[in-house]
Amino acid sequence: MNRGLLLKSLYEVWVISALFAVALMIVEALLGYVLPTFAEQFSTIWTDLPFVKNIFRALLGVDIGDQFGPDVFASLAWVHPVVLAIIAAHATIFATRVPVGEIDRATIDVLLGLPVSRWGLYRAELAMFLTSGVLLIAMALVGNRIGALLLATPMPFQAKSTLIMIANLFCLYIAAGGLAWLVSSLSERRGKAIAIVFSILLASFLLSFLAEFWEPAKTISFLSILTYYQPLIVIRQEQWPLGDMAVLLSLGAVMWTAGGICFARRDICTV
Amino acid sequence: MSVIIIDKLTKRYGRRTGIDGVTLQVSAGEIFGFLGPNGAGKTTTIRLMLGLLRPNDGSVRIFGLDCWRSSRRVKREVGYLPGDLRLYARTTGNTMLRICGAIRGRDLGAPGRTLAELFALDLNVTVRRMSRGMRQKLGLILALAHRPQLLILDEPTASLDPLMQERLMELLRTLAAEGHTIFFSSHSLSEVERLCDRVAIVREGRLVADETLVSLRANARRQVTIRWHTDAAEPQPPPFLAIHRREDHLWEASLRSDVTSLLQWLHDRPVADLAVGHPDLDSLFRQYYLHGKPQP
Repeated sequence: MNRGLLLKSLYEVWVISALFAVALMIVEALLGYVLPTFAEQFSTIWTDLPFVKNIFRALLGVDIGDQFGPDVFASLAWVHPVVLAIIAAHATIFATRVPVGEIDRATIDVLLGLPVSRWGLYRAELAMFLTSGVLLIAMALVGNRIGALLLATPMPFQAKSTLIMIANLFCLYIAAGGLAWLVSSLSERRGKAIAIVFSILLASFLLSFLAEFWEPAKTISFLSILTYYQPLIVIRQEQWPLGDMAVLLSLGAVMWTAGGICFARRDICTV
Repeated sequence: MSVIIIDKLTKRYGRRTGIDGVTLQVSAGEIFGFLGPNGAGKTTTIRLMLGLLRPNDGSVRIFGLDCWRSSRRVKREVGYLPGDLRLYARTTGNTMLRICGAIRGRDLGAPGRTLAELFALDLNVTVRRMSRGMRQKLGLILALAHRPQLLILDEPTASLDPLMQERLMELLRTLAAEGHTIFFSSHSLSEVERLCDRVAIVREGRLVADETLVSLRANARRQVTIRWHTDAAEPQPPPFLAIHRREDHLWEASLRSDVTSLLQWLHDRPVADLAVGHPDLDSLFRQYYLHGKPQP
C-alpha cells in the first residue's frame, strides 16, 4: 500500500476522526452513567407508560420483558440514536471524501496526476477508514467504562459480551461505510452523496423501529442494516451473532467493491 | 523517439463532442504548444493523457504505454499542472511536498525548496492563506520537483506575474535543453510563440494545425504600408496584396506572398515610403480559431 496515500489520508481525517471519537466517548460516558443512575425512575415510567416499553423494544430489537435490568442498560448505551448517528455520520463523512469529495472540490486532478492507481487510492482510504473505525469504537468503549466506573456501585465489565457487541457494531460501521462508498463512487457532488446516504440510513433506522409495531414493516425489516445489530441479545446470550455479522460484512464488502469498480471505470470530470 | 502518440483520439460527453479524431505526436526534448480557444478540447485531451477520462475511440500512449490501462506507470515520469488547480486547503507547501514525495517514493524536500526559492514562494504557508498566484507556483513546484521526463502543463502562466512567467519560461527552456519533453497548453499565442518549437491548434474538438513555428511564420501574412509619391498615379494592386485601407496615396495591406515578390513589384513604381511588419501570427491564429484554417 502506498505510504504517501496513507499519509495524505491521515492529514485529512485525523482531526475530524478525533473529534468524532471524543464526542462518542463523552456520549457513551454520559449514557453509561445516566441510564443506571435513573434505573428506578425508568421502572416507574415502565409501569405508568407502557408504550415506552415498546419504544425500547423497537430500539433494542427484542422484547426486554418486565425487568429493566443491567443488561438492558448496558445495551441501551450502544443503540442510543445519538451513538448510532455519530457512527453513521463518521462513516458517511469519511467514505464520501474519496472519490466524490475529491471530485467536487477538484483536488482529484492533482491526486490522480501522481503515480497512483484508482484502486490503490481506494484501498488506502479503506485502510484508514477501518483504522478510524477501530479508534472510534475503542473510544466509545472507554467512555462507556468511564461512565460505569463513576456509578456509586460500578457496573462489572462483561468482557466477552462487550467484545462481541463492539465487533457487531464495527460490522455495522463497515456496512454504513460500504454504502457511503458506493454512493460516493456514483456521484458528482459530495453534498448530494451525503444526503442520499443519510436518507438510506435514516430509512433503515425507521424501518427497524417500525417493524416492532407494524406488520407490513416487519416483512421487509430484513432490508434494514440495524436488523443485524442487536446488542441486548448478544449481552444476554454471550454468543457471537455470526449470521448478522456476516450479513453486515458482506453488505459492506459488496458495496465497497461495487463502488471501487465504478470509480475505476468512470470518467473524472471536474470542469 | 515519440514520447506522446495520440491516435484518432475521440471523447464524447453524451451528445457533446469533447475531441474528435485527434492525432499527433510529440518527440523527446520538444516544447510542444497546444493552442485553442476556451472549450476547444485542450483540457479534454490532457485529461485523456492523464487517464482521468476514458476515450470513446482511438488511443493515447505516453512512453509507449496506454494512458488508460497503464495510467499509474505512465505518471511516474510525468509532472502535471491542471488548468484549474485546486489543492488541499489545510496543508502547507511543505506538507504537500512531503505527501507527493511519499507517493512518488522519493524525497522532494530539497528540489522543492530550490524551486520555491526560484518562484519566491514560502512553503510554510497553508494553501487556504495563499493567493491564486501562490497556489499556481505551488502547483508548478509539485509538477516539477521530481524532474519528470514529461511535463504536462495546462495554462501554467495563469495568475503568474510577468517576472514569474519569465522565470518559468527560462526553466522550461533549460529542461527541454536537457531532454525533458514539455506539453504546454495555452490559449495565449504570445507565450507559445516565445517558448514552443511546434504548435498544434485545436478548434471545436478537431486538430486544425500541427506545424513548427517556423512553418507557421512562413504562412503568416506580413502587414505592409506603402506611401506613393503624390505626383504620380497609384498603380493597380497586385494579387498578392490584400488592401485593407487605401486613401491619400497610402495603402495598408496584408502580404500574401514573400517579401521578394513585393520588392520586385515595387522596383519600378513610385514608392515614397515602405514599411513591412513581422509575420502576423496573431492574425493567423485568429483565422485558425474562427475558421479552422487560414483565409485566402
